[in-house]
Amino acid sequence: MGVNPIVIIGSLIYFAILFWIGWSSRKASTDASEFYVAGRKVGPFVNGSALAATYFSPASFLGLPAFIFILGYPFWWALVGIIGGMPIATLLTAAPLRKYAPTSFTDYYADRYETKWMRLIAGIPTIIGGFAYVILSIVGTALFMLAILKVNFTVSVILAAIVVFAYIFYGGMVATTFSTAFQGITMTVAAVVAAGYVIANYGGLNGLTDAVLANSPNFFNLPYVNETPSHKLMSMWTGVVGFFFTWHFGFSALPYTVVRFFTTQDIKAARRSVFWAVIVGGAMYGGLIIIGTGARVLIETMHPLMQTEGVTSAIGLLKHMKTAFGVAGASVTDYSMIAAVEALKSPFLLAILAAGGLAIAMATAAGWTMVLNVLLGRDLLGKVFGSQWPEEKPIQCTRVMTVVVVFVSMLLAFKPPALVLDISGAAFIVILCSCGPPLVLGIWWTGATKAAAATNILVMTFLSCFSWMYANTVHKSAHFFFLDKSIVTPHQFYWVFVGFIFFILLSLVTPKCSDETIQKYSLDLRPDA
Amino acid sequence: MFKGMPKIFWIGMCVMYGWCFFFMFLEMTIPGFPLKPLFGVPACYIYNWIFGLWIINIIVSFLYFYMEEKREAAQENK
Repeated sequence: MGVNPIVIIGSLIYFAILFWIGWSSRKASTDASEFYVAGRKVGPFVNGSALAATYFSPASFLGLPAFIFILGYPFWWALVGIIGGMPIATLLTAAPLRKYAPTSFTDYYADRYETKWMRLIAGIPTIIGGFAYVILSIVGTALFMLAILKVNFTVSVILAAIVVFAYIFYGGMVATTFSTAFQGITMTVAAVVAAGYVIANYGGLNGLTDAVLANSPNFFNLPYVNETPSHKLMSMWTGVVGFFFTWHFGFSALPYTVVRFFTTQDIKAARRSVFWAVIVGGAMYGGLIIIGTGARVLIETMHPLMQTEGVTSAIGLLKHMKTAFGVAGASVTDYSMIAAVEALKSPFLLAILAAGGLAIAMATAAGWTMVLNVLLGRDLLGKVFGSQWPEEKPIQCTRVMTVVVVFVSMLLAFKPPALVLDISGAAFIVILCSCGPPLVLGIWWTGATKAAAATNILVMTFLSCFSWMYANTVHKSAHFFFLDKSIVTPHQFYWVFVGFIFFILLSLVTPKCSDETIQKYSLDLRPDA
Repeated sequence: MFKGMPKIFWIGMCVMYGWCFFFMFLEMTIPGFPLKPLFGVPACYIYNWIFGLWIINIIVSFLYFYMEEKREAAQENK
C-alpha cells in the first residue's frame, strides 16, 4: 500500500481551509480578552461545533472504534454514556459558569474557595490530564500522518508536533474557536460518510450484523446471558456500567470544554451551544459505532495487507503495521479504525477520513494546549507568583508555553504509554474525581468548603493516579479493580463517585466560606438569582 | 444542595438514565436481546444506536435550553 495522491490532496485542502480561517481571524486576537476567551462573542452553533470538536479527541475518533473492535457490542454503551453526559452540562455548569464569566478554568476555584493557592492545587490534576491529552492528540495526528504519507511513526510524530505547534502558535482562542468549529463539521462528515460506506458495503444494517456475527460470533454477547462474553472486560455488569461512566461527566467538568462556555455571547448561547454539540457529536458517534462494529470483519475480509505472508487476522495485520512503520507502544491498535476504512479501498473516503482525523486531533491538541498555556502562564506565573508578563504580553507568554507544552508532549508521544482511549480515560478520572466535586458542588451547595476542596483535589489525584498505575502495572490492565483482579472496574471509575462523597463529608466538618463569597460564587450563579 | 436547579433538569436526567439502564438491564437478563428484530433490524440499532445515542439526548438538550428560555421570558413579562 503506497501513498495515494487523492488522500494527500484531500488533506491539503483541509489545511488550506484551516489556514484561511486562521489568517482571516488573525486581527481579532490582539488583546488579552480576545486571545483567551475570543472576546465572548461566539454564537451557539459555532461554539457548539467547536465544543464537539474540542471535546471529542483522537481518543474518540480512533480509540472508540478500536475499543468496539476489541470489546464488542457492550462497549456501544460507553459512547451512549459520553453523549448522554453532554446535556447534563447545560444547566449543571455551562449556564452558571457563563454567568460568572471567568477567563480561566482555575478562576472559579480561586474565587469560590477564597485563596489564590487553589489555582495551584486545581492545576495539578489539570496539568497531568492536560499533558496526557496533548500527547494522545499528537499520537492521533501522527497516526493520520502515517495513513496519508506512509512514513515511519517517529517521523509522523515529529510532523504531527510541528503541525499542532504551528496551528496553536499563530492563533489564540479566536482562531481556534472558528477553525475548531470547521473541524467539528469535518470530523462529523468524515465519520458519517465512512459509516455510510460500511453499511452500503454490506447492503444494510442486517447485512453488516450477519457479516460481523459470521466473523466474530461473540460480538453481541453480554454478561450473565451468554456463556462466553464478548470480552473478559465485559463479563460483569461493572464493565458495561464502568465504561459508561468513565467519560460521562467530562463535558460538565473538564477544563477544555468548560472554557468554551466562557467564550459564548451570553447564557442563552451557552445553553444552546450544548444542544448543537449533541447534534454534531451524536452524528459523529453514530458513524464511529458502525466503523468500530465492522472493523474486524472489514480488515479480515477486505484489507489488501491480509494477502501478506503470515498475516491471518486483524490483530496479525496490525502487528505487521507495527513492524513495518515502527509504531511504538500500544498505539497500533488505534490504527484499526483507519485500517478498516483502508479495507474499503476508496481513496476519496480515506481523504475525508484523514481530514476528519487531523481535524479532531488538532482541535483537541489546541484546546488542551490553550488550557495549559493559560494555566501555566496567566494563572500560575501571573496570579500565583506575581509575574506581570502573562498580562502585559499574553501572546508572547502563550507562545512560549506552547513551545514547552508541545515539545514535552512530543517527546512522550514517541512511545505512547497506552492506547489513546486508555490515556484519555485515565485523564478523565483523575480530573473528574479531584476537581469535579469542588466545581459542581461549589456552584450548587453553599456548604462546600475551602479545606474540603483542597484536600479532595490532592487526595483524589493521588488515589486515582496510584490505583490506575497499580492496576495497569500489576494486573496488566487499568480496567481491573486495583485491590482485586477478579472485579472489572474500567479506569477505576468509582473514584468519581467516591470523590463527591468524600468532598461532602469533609465539607460538613470544616469551616464554611464567607457569606459574601457564597452569595457571589454560588447563589448568584443559579438560574433564579 | 441543588436549590434553584430547574425541575426540567431532573426530568431530563430520569429520561436519559431511565432509558439507558432499562435497556442495559433487559440485555443482561434476556438472552439475545440486542439481536431481536425490531422494525426490520436488530433491536440494538433502534434503542441504542438511534435513540440512546442520539434522539433522547437531542430531546433532553433541547428541553434544557427551551424550557429555561421559556421560564426566563415568563419572568421578564412579570
